[in-house]
Formats: sequence, structure tokens, C-alpha cells
Amino acid sequence: MTRVVNVPGHFDDRSFEQFAKACGDMTDDRLLFDAHATQWASPFGLVGLLAAGQWAAEHGPERPLLTVPSDRDVAHYWGRAGFFAHAADWYELHGKVPRVTPATSSDVLLAITPVRGTDDVHGVVESVQERSAAILSSELGLEATATMGFAMALSEACQNIVEHAGTSGWVAVQAYHWRRRLGRRVVVIAVADAGIGFRRSLEATQASRFGDRWSDATALEAALFQGASRFRDPGRGQGLGGIARYVNRWSGKLAVRSGAARISIVPSWDDDQPLTEGLTLFPGSQVLMIVPAQEAQ
Amino acid sequence: MQLIDLKAILQHTVSSAYGDLVTRPTGKAVRDGIEAALDDLETEPVAVIDFSTVRLLDYSCADEIVGKLLLERGGARVFLLQGVTASHCEAIEPVLRRHKLAAIARDREGRVRMLGDVPEGARKVLSALTDRVEPGSPADNDALVLPGGTAKELLQLLQSSGPLPPDPADKPSAGAPE
Repeated sequence: MTRVVNVPGHFDDRSFEQFAKACGDMTDDRLLFDAHATQWASPFGLVGLLAAGQWAAEHGPERPLLTVPSDRDVAHYWGRAGFFAHAADWYELHGKVPRVTPATSSDVLLAITPVRGTDDVHGVVESVQERSAAILSSELGLEATATMGFAMALSEACQNIVEHAGTSGWVAVQAYHWRRRLGRRVVVIAVADAGIGFRRSLEATQASRFGDRWSDATALEAALFQGASRFRDPGRGQGLGGIARYVNRWSGKLAVRSGAARISIVPSWDDDQPLTEGLTLFPGSQVLMIVPAQEAQ
Repeated sequence: MQLIDLKAILQHTVSSAYGDLVTRPTGKAVRDGIEAALDDLETEPVAVIDFSTVRLLDYSCADEIVGKLLLERGGARVFLLQGVTASHCEAIEPVLRRHKLAAIARDREGRVRMLGDVPEGARKVLSALTDRVEPGSPADNDALVLPGGTAKELLQLLQSSGPLPPDPADKPSAGAPE
């Protein structure tokens, strides 16, 4: 039996919960991810869609199906963002896949890139630094030091996959104008994997401290605010805290979703909840970091 | 003083293709390279870790290269972090605080500062020791105003926590009963 999962028409971090609910338990039926009517997808939506495909392919009865957006421009954009190059590994694609090579442009700072090991992290950091420097300083009005901080945050977000997911994942970096939500230009880092998630990763070293309270939410709180790590080495667990300091400093946003919870560092321009529990269970971890253009003093 | 060029060690121990100090395995490999260099010159009391050719340093690498190195080797010699940038310091500072360590860093303009877990007074002592101020100038008078005894205590703190070498006068002389 094949079950249809509708991909939201406007697929971003806000509509992700709608998508996760539609995914439900991805192990019983063969899934058809229907994106034919999708009009727009953020980097977070695209890497999340890849994570869902990987999970369904590895745990479901058959490789899932994916219908390509019927709007030519939308499909073209997904191609430029590097989506189809990786989607073919997990999905049986239906519809017209545009023949475009994933490329960097003024908006796509880093096409969707797999993160499997240390070499990939080096490659990601190397390729993003120069391109992001120009955009962060000239278009977003950040100080020169912010460029290095951005690359550090990107490196740590990618390393979370290598160190904790137990599988590979993806990262994408894009710049775009957020007209409706913020009225400013932003740079966005989206990272997703279909791995074991924060709760399972930290369970051996942290769960006993929390007792009955141990959950996806407490695991995320421990990782983000207490620097908890699955390693007993006291130097571990500083990456997410470093990302949090960076987004705080530049009025940015950080959201980490894992399992059935989501934790956020919410800037004044956003109305997200700092912590949400009881969400639909979704595999792995998904990280979103947004750095907005700085307002004139 | 022994100068240890991090970029050279990175390219020698990990890959010549890499230009940035990112990821924990890279940091560990570079630390192993530094320790091998230190073993070659055991008698040098001061080791200068040179960041001048390093573009990016992330938290994981900072923990491996600076945090763990000072934890393991900081008791045996003094480490000076040379050629650091503001972004290097952003990675190093929380690492040192987490391990309750301190280190002296010199930036690319030659300014010296204290990084890590040290009281503000100790930072002032170091500034007074390192700022190039003409004796008798107004700046000299403003350089360090601390209550009696406090400056000495802070100096001792800097010596005991690693950033400054111990006072030779405090060492027992050869042959003297301990």
C-alpha cells in the first residue's frame, strides 16, 4: 500500500510541523511524497525532505516516491539548490527533473551538500567563507569578525552530524530577502540528518541526571544551555553554545528540532516559542540558523 | 623561545589541502604534532604557538589545540599564543574558561592580553607589565592602581595558573634542603 505525504505549498521551518505530521510513522507503508503543488521551499524544508527520504528508504518497506514540483521555476530552483542531485539517492523521482547543475550564485552560498565526515566539514567551511564574507559584511552590515564567527557556527553545526547522528546528513546555506517575515535580507544555515537524535545520543551520559524528566526536550536543553555531550570529556559540548552566542550577538535565530521537541533562541523580531514539546516524532535532528541584516543604529 | 607554526603542523600532520583549523579530529592531529615538536625541545621554558597563518579556528579545534595542550603540558612550560585574531580569541576564551585555565595571547598588532579564567585584576596586572609606557608619563601613573599586596597576589596567581613563569627566587637553589 502507498500512502501520500503532502509536501506543504510553502515549505519552511514553520510548515515543517505540518509535514512531520503528514509523514507520521514512515515504516509501515510505501510513501509518496507529493511536492507537485509546492510553490516554494526554504533550505530547511529541502534538507528536511532529504532526511525524510533517507529514513523512509532505510526503514520503510520500499524506496519512497517523490513527485517533482510541476512549476518549472520551482523545480529549477530546487535543482540549483542541489536538491535533486541527492534526492535521487533516496527517492524514486517522478516528474520532470530539470537539467541544472547545482551552483553557487548570489543567493545559493552553498548548494545542498552531504556531510559524512571531517573532510566534508573542511570542504563546506572552505567553500563558504569567501562568498559569505562579502554578503555578511556588505549586504547584512555585520562586522568583519562576524564572518569568521559564521564559519565557526557552520563548522560546529556540521560536526554535530559527524559526531552525534550516527549517519550522514546535509547542509545548505542561502541568502535571501525575507520580505514578509522580516523585511530584511538574511543568511540561513540549514542542517538536517535522519540519525539517532539528541535524546539517544546523550542518553548514556545525561539521562540519569534527569530521571523521569528525560525526554527530547530535556536533551535539547542540556545540549544547548548546559553544554552536555555524549562524551565524558569535559571539553566536549561547546559547539552549540558557541552557535547560540553567535546568533545572540547578531540578533539571529537558532532553532534545533529533534525527536518530538524543538528548542529555539528567539530574537525580538520573531514570535517562535523557546521550547515546544509533544510534536510529531521525526527522525534525527534539524538545525536552523538565521542571521539577519543589522538594523541601522 | 620555541616557535610552533600551526599552519605548518596542520599541513604536515593532516593535509596540505586544508587551510582552517576546524573539526575535533583535525585539532587532535595538530595537537599531536605540537607535542612531538615540544618533545624535541624539552628544555625550552616557553613555547610560542603561532596562529599568524591560521584563518579560522573553531571551538572543537580550540579545545583540542589550546585546552587539552595546556591541561596536559601547561604545568611544564609557559605557552604564548601568538598572532591571534579576535575570532581566534572568541573560540579560545570559552574553552579556557571551561577548563579553568588562562593563557597569554599576542595579537597581530603586538597587543598582549590575557585569555581565560582570570580575575579582572590579573588582566590589569598583565596589562601593566606588558604595555609599553614611558616611565613617569601620565599613562604610567594610571596603568595599575591596586591595593597593597593585591598586585603581588595577582602576580602569584598568574604564575600558578600557567600564563607567567614562576619567579626564579621562589625556586630552591641547587643543593639546598627542600
